[in-house]
Amino acid sequence: MTTQRDDEYFVFLDTKGKRWPRLRLLIVLSATLLFVALVLFFQSLLVTSQLQLPATIREMKARLKVLETRDAQVIPGKHKALWNDFAKAPATDQSQPASRHRDRPPGVVRLGFSVDWDPGSYESLREHGNELTHLCPEWLTMTDGEGNMAVKRDTLAADLAKKHHLVLLPLLNNLDGDDANPEAVEGIINGPEDRRAHFVGALLAELRAAGAGGVVIDWVEIDVSYRQAMTAFLLDLATALHDIKMELWLCIPAGMELNVYDLEKLAAGVDRFVAILHDENSEKDPPGPIASQEWFSGWLATMTEYGQPGQWVVAIGSYGYDWAADELPAEEIDFDDVMTRAGRAGLRPEDIGSHSLNPHFQYLDNGVPHTVWFLDAITAFNQMRLVASSQAGGIAISRLGTEDPGVWKVLAIHDINTPSARDLAALGQMRAEGKTSHVGTGEFLTVEPTWEDGARQVSLDENGTVIEHLEKFPTYRTVYHQGQGGADQVTITFDDGPDPVYTPRILDILKREEVKAAFFLIGSNIESYPALVRRIVDEGHEIGIHTYTHPNLATVSNERAFLELNATERLIETVTNRSTTLFRPPYNADSRPHLESELRAVQLAQSLGYLTVSNNVDPEDWHDATRESIIERIKELRPHGNVILLHDAGGNRSATVAALPEIIAYLKRRGDSIVPLGAMLGVGPEFLMPPQRAEHPSLAQVVSASGFKALHVVEELLWAFMIVATVLTFVRALFVAALAFVHRRREKRNILLQPFHPPVSVVLAAFNEAKVIRETLAALLDTRYAGLLQVVVVDDGSSDATAAIVGEIAAADSRVRLVTTPNRGKARALQTGFVVADHEVLVTLDADTRFTPDTIAHLVAPLRDDTVAAVSGHVRVGNARTFIARCQSLEYICGFNLDRRAYDLLDCITVVPGAASCLRKSAVIAAGGISTDTLAEDTDLTLALHRLGRQVRYAPQAIAWTEVPESFTDLTRQRFRWGFGTLQCLWKHRDLVFKPGQGPLGWFSLPGTWFFQIFLVALTPLVDLLLLLSLFWGAGAEISLYFVVFLLTDLFLAVAACLVEGEPLRQAWLMVPMRFLYRPLLAWVVWKSIQKALKGAWVRWDKLKRTASVVTH
Amino acid sequence: MKYLGLFSRDLRPSRLATLLLATALLLCLGGGVAAEVPKQQGPLPGDAKQPALIFPSDGAYCGAFLDFGNSEDKVTLEAIEKFERMVGKHQAIIASSSFWGEMTFPSKNVSLIIRHGSIPLIFWSPWDRPYDQEKPPDRFGLEEILAGKWDAYIDQWALAAKETNVPLLVSWGLEMNGNWFPWSGCWYGGEHAGPSGQTGPELYKKAYRYVVDRVRARGAANILWGFHANHYTYPHDGWNRMSNYYPGPDYVDWLGLSVYGKQFADDDWASFKNVMEEGYQELALLDEEKPILVAEFGVGEFPGEGSKAEWLSEALELLRTHYTRVRAAVYWHERWANADGTFSNLRVNSSPEALAAFRRGLSLPYWLERPQLQAKKPTHSP
Repeated sequence: MTTQRDDEYFVFLDTKGKRWPRLRLLIVLSATLLFVALVLFFQSLLVTSQLQLPATIREMKARLKVLETRDAQVIPGKHKALWNDFAKAPATDQSQPASRHRDRPPGVVRLGFSVDWDPGSYESLREHGNELTHLCPEWLTMTDGEGNMAVKRDTLAADLAKKHHLVLLPLLNNLDGDDANPEAVEGIINGPEDRRAHFVGALLAELRAAGAGGVVIDWVEIDVSYRQAMTAFLLDLATALHDIKMELWLCIPAGMELNVYDLEKLAAGVDRFVAILHDENSEKDPPGPIASQEWFSGWLATMTEYGQPGQWVVAIGSYGYDWAADELPAEEIDFDDVMTRAGRAGLRPEDIGSHSLNPHFQYLDNGVPHTVWFLDAITAFNQMRLVASSQAGGIAISRLGTEDPGVWKVLAIHDINTPSARDLAALGQMRAEGKTSHVGTGEFLTVEPTWEDGARQVSLDENGTVIEHLEKFPTYRTVYHQGQGGADQVTITFDDGPDPVYTPRILDILKREEVKAAFFLIGSNIESYPALVRRIVDEGHEIGIHTYTHPNLATVSNERAFLELNATERLIETVTNRSTTLFRPPYNADSRPHLESELRAVQLAQSLGYLTVSNNVDPEDWHDATRESIIERIKELRPHGNVILLHDAGGNRSATVAALPEIIAYLKRRGDSIVPLGAMLGVGPEFLMPPQRAEHPSLAQVVSASGFKALHVVEELLWAFMIVATVLTFVRALFVAALAFVHRRREKRNILLQPFHPPVSVVLAAFNEAKVIRETLAALLDTRYAGLLQVVVVDDGSSDATAAIVGEIAAADSRVRLVTTPNRGKARALQTGFVVADHEVLVTLDADTRFTPDTIAHLVAPLRDDTVAAVSGHVRVGNARTFIARCQSLEYICGFNLDRRAYDLLDCITVVPGAASCLRKSAVIAAGGISTDTLAEDTDLTLALHRLGRQVRYAPQAIAWTEVPESFTDLTRQRFRWGFGTLQCLWKHRDLVFKPGQGPLGWFSLPGTWFFQIFLVALTPLVDLLLLLSLFWGAGAEISLYFVVFLLTDLFLAVAACLVEGEPLRQAWLMVPMRFLYRPLLAWVVWKSIQKALKGAWVRWDKLKRTASVVTH
Repeated sequence: MKYLGLFSRDLRPSRLATLLLATALLLCLGGGVAAEVPKQQGPLPGDAKQPALIFPSDGAYCGAFLDFGNSEDKVTLEAIEKFERMVGKHQAIIASSSFWGEMTFPSKNVSLIIRHGSIPLIFWSPWDRPYDQEKPPDRFGLEEILAGKWDAYIDQWALAAKETNVPLLVSWGLEMNGNWFPWSGCWYGGEHAGPSGQTGPELYKKAYRYVVDRVRARGAANILWGFHANHYTYPHDGWNRMSNYYPGPDYVDWLGLSVYGKQFADDDWASFKNVMEEGYQELALLDEEKPILVAEFGVGEFPGEGSKAEWLSEALELLRTHYTRVRAAVYWHERWANADGTFSNLRVNSSPEALAAFRRGLSLPYWLERPQLQAKKPTHSP
């Protein structure tokens, strides 16, 4: 059975056996080199730059200091006791006005004011919602005297109110930004009837829609001239609200403004007065107590005289103001910010003053003296005691999010007038974990991630006043802000670039307008468009790092985040010979990050020496923007911010480009100077982007530079390959399909067989075919062929009953002749058969192939033409039962037969399959006979006939049903044999490719086979890998496009083939699963073939295997 | 068409020829706008490179002072655009102050206003912080100015003004015929000669001329000087008349008037005609030719008293039809709190009715929203 011959020659046979060892050595050496290069490259990416930001910028905590000259602190003198002017006149008439509020119980209401622009407000609400009864979120703002309102529905607050069973009381105010808009109120309350009615209607509708229990009105700076109108309007409004079971709550200011409210009359209609007992000194006043005890108690006593005490809800402040030097307005700060400033500045407990029971202190920030006054849990404690004794209806917290968490402990005290020692002790603990505080202003962020709990001593003094002694300031995780710049300074920043389309256009505009901007670049884009990066730097703009692949750094590992920054830095150094110290995290470039996840990126960047740059003017040009919307939003936000965020990449940025000239013009009209980030920080360009010392680049730099360059080349090649392959595949598909259709039309015309019946010898090589040979021969002999027929069966040393069966048939039918030889392989068996055959016209078939009665006639027909030397039959799959077989059936239809039609038209058929072919014996002999040096002797012979200049034709009507492997393993074996054979033939006949005079064979079908069946198939796994990777890294869109084009092309060919062959179209859909199962198999086969070819030692075992595979059933 | 020129001290014939040529060219290019050769009056034209402000006789500029903060000088584009959106018209003139206490020239404001396409009207007021009215003279007193104590500041201011290279309307020492500003005659002895040996108005005049001379000497020929009085002389005495303060035609390019209706709760309501008539006539007598600018006007909102809407309607109507020498009207758009807790709301939008009336009145094409500038065409040499 093992009849291999070592002396026999095969294509790719390596007689000396040295090819493989040499190649292997080469491969191992290359792989080692590549590996070392990769290691060096990655190592170079891990080497951090020696970024040297001065300590003043890196170590922000050093900037806060104790203000030593405390005697300079001025405590404002006592205000006139203005509240006395508002004392209720002694009632001459004892009868109280009818009031529906006579029986308001004291101390029940706990109202919380919340805002939607401070996440801390929601956090506090989530945590302490259960301790409240009412919630007042910002909601409605009156915008003009016509009754128009800006509605900002805080649905999150409404949901939280519902969750905690709080009565929702939306706020109706008259603020225009930070300024009052009294005209909006005055115009309504003093307006004509219909205007008032219209306004009230709109208000009620909104309250109803919100599911509110009423409204809290907070109107400021209303002129006292409107006092009467105010009373009338509010009483009307109260009635309208009561009609729909809602309440009217009215904020009552302490001070001259109280004049506009006629409390006595209003008490009859207004459900609750909310006494605003904070802001004795507001942010617009010079430093002073926010609610001194005397002031608080004076106003409280005065106000609660009006109406019923239980009707009053007293708003208690819990926040601070920070005055920088004598600048106004002061900054409103949270309690955590207050504590952090004191603690980080290194204040001692005795540095906290407590004039009029309001704590205050001073500190230095970068040499600028600051004064802070604040209200905390202890001031609230004292105030709540007064509130309790006033019998007022309750308190309001102003506001959720700024408060000292101790306030909630005070609220929990059972009897506030006689607190237990435990109550007081509980107030002593000040937890700092989890909160973030902010210090300073500006968009350059650094983080101090540590926190420390604080402690205070709380006790009652002899007057029954609660006093505190801060023992240790709690310090919170702190974000330091710097680089605020001047009021007229503004910076434009661009994220996500560079982009080949938009960045140059933006640079052109900036150049024309002589504006310098900052670009936060993505590493992968730098890698793709290094020239653009150089242009950005050359034209004087700043560049910063926006990571390599734009991930959300909050969700990636530390290692990945580190690499994201460092690789981008290396790349920038390579491209520009400069480093950069600027960084902006993707997704989280919010001006006031507060979550730990948001701060992680800042912290990491900081530890590597980068300065994080946030933004505070985001016109959302990345998201459904138009030129106008971008400009409008910038106009709206510019008064409150000075670092503008735009995008020059990552999508269609034409709106940004279109808006930019007008943005610049607007800013200039505004009187702004558009400056780079360095100017905001007060430093020069060299400072933020230090140049590399070009003459002495470090080894790491050289390595990373070469690495990036190599990466760039590889990437370019891959893209080129994708594009070329897609285009070629597509064009070829169109061409082949067109030719096939033409062929089909001509065939229909020539359907009638000409009378041509030469004698024919059918040659069949059989090896262990006992199971099929009988039926094969029966089908063969059942032919309608009119000419003389001889059947030569060469039994190639079968070990089964093949010879016996054939002998039996031969005995019965004289047309059959059996020749038995020792097993030497199919090629030699055929050689033998051809010698034995009597006739000039030879027909071959495989032992498992069944002819139809007309197959021979159709096969022979083209031979009427003397130049035709070989005819290919139409091989179809006869056993399309399993999935694999059905796939093959489709492959035969569109892959083989469609091609063959096309090739037939151009006379460049590359293979006349042994399973169904017709050959002219003389031509075969002239071509050197059946050669045994390849596994695909049919292909070899076909190409040899072409060399002789003979024609090779295709007879689509000559149908032969063959059996295909039904298991993956068998299919793999078969395809390996074919693949290897094809490779051998291609190699053997490589001189035909692009050979002048070879015509379509040399210029179309053979190169096509090389490219599409070897090269492209071999690269399929690479494409798949790229696709998977790109999907994973988020850049899948472009690659998937090519992938889809490939798939559609395959589908198109399948459909075309089914149409041509009249097969049902539905099987064309098999192409999709085939792409994922079949293609990888073919790729594996090609790779294996190449490997074997390179080894040159395939012969021995394969011959055995392949014979076995033929007999599969 | 009236035409207000700029000063020039030396204009040599050779240069003049060039100028003539250049101007002729410009005029040709200008087409219709410059078809009518403006009537030359008052001061002579200066550097032809500087455009001059034209006061067309068939219209008047609208302008406004907005609430620019405590020192009246925090000019912002947002405030201007908001006001213009509200009244429905671009403003040809934007007024703001330059208080001596700041010791600067308001370059930023001026360039912002110019870029916005308006002409700046600058109230250049010699007083010090805190800027509270009814306060005696401070370190910027008239004598100190005349003694040369502030020459350096004046020079610096003049050079900066010159650099802007556009026409600037400047009102120095405004409302001198009142008693609330420290430069008023009443703070300097009134009709009696003070320590300087001169009456209050005399001293004011001297200081005015001193300042203008000094600024001109620095070459700031682009300034159009305004003599800007209050509509009502207070104290209402003969010595305090506007004419006693008038520094003379050579020092004045335009006559300015502040015209206010009721501003405070304890004022009586008065119609526009009531507050305008006397002051207008008195001012108009000072010079027959010079354009009159209502450099400030406004009225508070007092519900239940007079109708602000009517007042504004009447003002804009009479300024157009009756007070025909008025070439510009600048509205004082401000609301402030008084010590007694009341507010003076002069804003045009103090009520929807007031705003509607103002919009309606201003919408007429008579109220010009863009300054008309023209290159100088000198008609004769000095």
